[in-house]
Amino acid sequence: MIDYMLLCDFHIHTKYSDGSVELRKVIDIFGQAGFDVIAITDHVVNGDNAIGKLAHRFKFSINEKNFEEYLFNIKIEAERAWDKYEMLVIAGVEISKNHISPEKSAHILIIDIKEFIPACMNYEKIFLSAKQQDALIIACHPHHMSDLGRDTLFLWNNRDKYAKYIDAWEIANRDDIFNVISLKKYPYIANSDFHRVRHLYSWKTLLNCQKDINSVKRCIKQNKGVAITLFRK
Amino acid sequence: MEIFYLFAVLSIIGLFAYVLQVLAVRSLFKGKILQATPEKLKTFSYIPKTETYILPPISILKPLKGLDDNLFDNLVSFCTQDYPQYEIIFSLQDNNDPAFKVAKKVKDKYPDKDIFIVVDNCHIGLNPKVNNLITAYKVSRYDFILISDSNVMVGKDYLRETVKNMRDPEVGLVSNVIKGTGGSTLGSIFENLHLNTFIVGSVCFLDKFLKKPCVIGKSMLMRRQDLEAIGGFKAVKDFLAEDYVIGERIHKRGRKVILSNYVINNINEYWGLKKFLNRHIRWGKLRWKLGGIKYLCELIANPVFMSFLPLLLWEISILTIFFALFVALFKITGDLYIAKIIGVRSNPYVYLLSPFKDLIVGVIWFIPLFSKVVIWRGNKYIIGKDSILSTHTDTGFYSLGYKIFYAIKARIA
Repeated sequence: MIDYMLLCDFHIHTKYSDGSVELRKVIDIFGQAGFDVIAITDHVVNGDNAIGKLAHRFKFSINEKNFEEYLFNIKIEAERAWDKYEMLVIAGVEISKNHISPEKSAHILIIDIKEFIPACMNYEKIFLSAKQQDALIIACHPHHMSDLGRDTLFLWNNRDKYAKYIDAWEIANRDDIFNVISLKKYPYIANSDFHRVRHLYSWKTLLNCQKDINSVKRCIKQNKGVAITLFRK
Repeated sequence: MEIFYLFAVLSIIGLFAYVLQVLAVRSLFKGKILQATPEKLKTFSYIPKTETYILPPISILKPLKGLDDNLFDNLVSFCTQDYPQYEIIFSLQDNNDPAFKVAKKVKDKYPDKDIFIVVDNCHIGLNPKVNNLITAYKVSRYDFILISDSNVMVGKDYLRETVKNMRDPEVGLVSNVIKGTGGSTLGSIFENLHLNTFIVGSVCFLDKFLKKPCVIGKSMLMRRQDLEAIGGFKAVKDFLAEDYVIGERIHKRGRKVILSNYVINNINEYWGLKKFLNRHIRWGKLRWKLGGIKYLCELIANPVFMSFLPLLLWEISILTIFFALFVALFKITGDLYIAKIIGVRSNPYVYLLSPFKDLIVGVIWFIPLFSKVVIWRGNKYIIGKDSILSTHTDTGFYSLGYKIFYAIKARIA
């Protein structure tokens, strides 16, 4: 084990979807702040309803066409981040199933993704596809949030059916904290849901493991040596 | 009409003062331009890289608190100095500070450099930066002490170029000109514009025409013996403007205080407007307490604000609009010229925002006249004469004023 816990954030958006900061700058913001592990997780939005179509129209979503370019650029930046900051950068996406009703909406982080997964597939297929890629599956902001209109409650409401697929749940997202995750004793992590620079100062995960992708994934799955911290200036 | 003439005259006086500032900047950097020619290198006592034996070892004291924009690169820039012998001491109040992790990463990246991280919850004085300096100073080994803020980034030749001013044994302190760089947000753009116009101009003006030491705490090189002769850091532990006080005390002892024309970068990338306002209200309060009546001159030295007042106080007419526009254009031109001299490489179009920044600065100029409470890095103080600090007790008139202000603010929110 290492002599300090790894400071991590596994939920970060860039201009590839609805983030306001370009990928390279995002890497530098986290690198300059001393982070050890981050995951870039731009949205992959379902295109099978009006909300999803709008997201695709305004290019707020990764799609099958630009997915390879997205992965390639993350890889380039990951190499730079390791050389310069010794920061591990992992490619991921946030599968975003958006509906008008929060009861039907769900967001899922797929960390260490290798092949594109469309958001319009059903949940089992999405989870199995992620498992086949040996990617981590994280349920994002699974309960009520302070921002009106952002709730995504489907996974929590259907936890009996889907919890077996989920490697960890966000116990905290940006400024919100979801005590239901701790009451249910689910594996947990905490993330910023970074879209703007100010979101750097938010809930984060601390991991007690080696700084390599397999150790990080194992640590989250086993959920031992995991802590959360409210990262402030 | 009299109002217009009054402010027109004041604006023209302001423009004249501004021209003097531009000339002062030009004068300081004239030497730098001359240094570029090989013949002049000898004249200006340039130290060739081969003559390393004359370069004294330096202890760099780096007080750290919180995350500054670009912190990692700022710290790294001190690890890659083209200088034979120096040590860097990162000093923090506690190891839960996010800057601790960054400092540790930098230390791990350069294992062959003399880098030390000292953590001590020192509360000797009220100035948290000086508390950090006291801790770092205790472990420093060399006779030359360099105080360097965490938000500056320097070139590889910074130490070499700064220390050469110390070849004159009468020099007691060397400070550097700063320039603001970066700027992805409006607050940062305003901050950098202010640093690259008003701050640079004022510092050079004081140095050139008034021969007044105006030390910028972001970079101060001095000898240990001079620092100890003025009582060390403990003598300035309760001053907000510890840099100014150190410079003034060294100057009073008959030692020269030099402004080096080596420009250091102050990276301001993601500042919000609130942070910009807070800093300049605090600096304004500081200058009001240090300068007293001279602080009033600052308002006159803001010609854009002065030329705008007739529009508010008299009438909006072709004459007032034309005059305000003329002054704004004149000021933008001067700002661009200063930027060129000090080597700012930002988009020139951002200088179109300079008059708006001057208007904001003009408005916040009044605040120090009514308030002496400063909030700095999470601590609240009352600032007294010569910037001496005392603890804010949350009682009394000022506290009541603040409580009312924050109650209204909370209600609006």
